[in-house]
Amino acid sequence: MAGEGDVNKPVLKRPPGPQAATVAKTAIQVENLDVVFGAGAGAVTALSGVNVDIPEGGLVTMLGPSGCGKSTLLRAFADLVPAAAGEIAIFGRSPRLAREARDFAFVFQDATLLPWRTAIDNVKLPLEVGGGAARHADPAKLLELVGLKGREKALPEELSGGMRQRVAIARALVTQPRILLMDEPFGALDEITRDKLNEELLRIWQETGTTIVFVTHSIPEAVFLGQRVLVLATNPGRVREYMPVPLAYPRSLKIRDTLEFVEVTAHLRQLLEDC
Amino acid sequence: MADLSLAKAPRTTDRSYDFAAVVAQRWPAIATVVALLALWEIITVGFHVPSYMAPSPLDVVGAFHDNGQILWSNFLPTLGEALAGFFFGNLIAVMVAVLFVHSQTAERAFYPVAVFMHTIPIIALAPILVLLFGNGVTPKVIIAALICFFPTLVNMVRGLKAVSPAALDLMRVLSATPAEIFWKVRLQSSLPFLFAALKIAATTCVIGAIVAEWIGSSFGLGALIIEATYNFRSSLLYATVFVAALLAVLLFSAVSIAEARIIRWKSPAVS
Repeated sequence: MAGEGDVNKPVLKRPPGPQAATVAKTAIQVENLDVVFGAGAGAVTALSGVNVDIPEGGLVTMLGPSGCGKSTLLRAFADLVPAAAGEIAIFGRSPRLAREARDFAFVFQDATLLPWRTAIDNVKLPLEVGGGAARHADPAKLLELVGLKGREKALPEELSGGMRQRVAIARALVTQPRILLMDEPFGALDEITRDKLNEELLRIWQETGTTIVFVTHSIPEAVFLGQRVLVLATNPGRVREYMPVPLAYPRSLKIRDTLEFVEVTAHLRQLLEDC
Repeated sequence: MADLSLAKAPRTTDRSYDFAAVVAQRWPAIATVVALLALWEIITVGFHVPSYMAPSPLDVVGAFHDNGQILWSNFLPTLGEALAGFFFGNLIAVMVAVLFVHSQTAERAFYPVAVFMHTIPIIALAPILVLLFGNGVTPKVIIAALICFFPTLVNMVRGLKAVSPAALDLMRVLSATPAEIFWKVRLQSSLPFLFAALKIAATTCVIGAIVAEWIGSSFGLGALIIEATYNFRSSLLYATVFVAALLAVLLFSAVSIAEARIIRWKSPAVS
């Protein structure tokens, strides 16, 4: 507990990178995880024997075909789905305790803003429920961080899809979580907005030093963002490969035209075809 | 250019409160009403229809002038009964809906009873309540409340259950308590459903109060309707009916204004 205060401080300008990841502690440790939906004859095994370590301060993207359980794995981290067997440890704690301690925040595919609340009031929501938060960031500053300065009083219906997702990211950051769990957060956005938000997410990651686990079904997105890509295979959902991305940060969108980038995406595409 | 037109938009809506602008916008409806009244006047005068059968519009205006005091003194009790019925009927419906949403057993136990109560025609229930509670205000308020109860119950249950699963996931990740989920999410998202029901109740509570006054009462617009009919005071009858309609419009408008003030967001689920 003594060391926790240091970790929780908003660490600005900490340069993350592959080197940082190798020395860092483990944020999420998964051992022999099984997730089963339903019971008896109709039971479906969503995940089977998953082992993975998410390093603290890292940015791990999860990639896989539909039905491979990548969202399920993320929801298991967030205590939204129970484990049938095996163990998940989030900074050494069970997902439930980690949830109650506000170790992580979750960004959904749909922004899930409360439509009657203004942007700033949506960002404040996590501070009003669940016993509030011991630590919190300034909601107005967070909206500025996600590029929504001046739109604090706007209702969700007055914002575009991209802006709504920015509000959702600001809301996730307001409790200064140590881990950000993102479930295809930009999946419903157009490509231009998505590219822009990808770049901004990298900037936010570098400014806050938050551990990020990012689920996507886009290979370029997974490679562009990730320090490591966790590839899942289907039937039953299991880890296919956990590969590091050999590209240095900071990354700009132009990196997608480099040979290294194309090589990594080609490898992943091949891998997914075999899944 | 787009910005300019947007900036102008609120100003034009402000101006629509001007009388001239309302007339300019609503002239087809106004012209139709005036034409129908004129036709009515021409028919009653032209065909020498006796006033006790069908009074002319001018006769009705005359009735307003002659019976202003009577109309007003009978308007007030009906207004009071309708408002009290509206308040208690909806309050109880909302509380029962909250109970239903939190306890499936309660819903299974009481929902059929609520449906059964709703199937009893209100006009058949009125004499029973008059026998039970006498000629006073009580049976009228109860009937006005009963007529509001069912639509609000059904809508409110639907509204409280209309929360998106994603919003509930969000609240779970935030470790929100059931009470917090209720106050911050369920209640808010049910408001459009509640107001849809309140708009229905605003007009039906007036019907409830008037029907109850028909059965046994010496006061109120319902009693005045019966009295004017039996005495062939048709002009007064028409004037009373007009006042009753006005009361319903008044309550409906009040609910609509409250809705516009309270709900500033568009619900995807209702409308």
